[in-house]
Amino acid sequence: MDGLTNSEQQILADRIQKWQMKQFMGIFGNLVDSCFTSCVDDFQSKALSGRETGCLSRCVSKWMATNERMGERFAELNAAEMERQQRGGR
Amino acid sequence: MFGFGQPKLSSEEKIAAVENEIKVMTEMQTRMAKICSQKCLDRTYREGELSKGEASCLDRCSVKFFEAHTTISEQLQKEQAAKGGMMGR
Repeated sequence: MDGLTNSEQQILADRIQKWQMKQFMGIFGNLVDSCFTSCVDDFQSKALSGRETGCLSRCVSKWMATNERMGERFAELNAAEMERQQRGGR
Repeated sequence: MFGFGQPKLSSEEKIAAVENEIKVMTEMQTRMAKICSQKCLDRTYREGELSKGEASCLDRCSVKFFEAHTTISEQLQKEQAAKGGMMGR
């Protein structure tokens, strides 16, 4: 990758992995916040209702599907952009 | 961004450059997913799968987000260049 030696790639991979762990905590927190906000709005009881639990679960599924889709689109767009830049095009 | 014909970089600089590139890209993708879900998803969550409408909204949103990114960055670069001619570059 970009002319890095094996040991440099190892250092890079370690750093990225550590960074991703930290990122993950933030992303996980955002997911909980967003699904909680959308799904839980009744505080007559302290237990999550069946409806709320179902909503949370669908919210997570949808989030995963969204992320997967956005990952694919992002890769495509990024590849097209790289190509455009390499051609020196505007 | 980073690329061709650069002067020799130290090992650390090379790693940092790729590291930065990966982080910038990952962050952009995360932001894009977050913002486009806010704009496209039905928040009642009656379904756990993406509807056709949501999926095509996400696809269009991603293209627009990317384009907005490019447009804004080009404008900033232009204005920066016009203003900061003295700072070299």
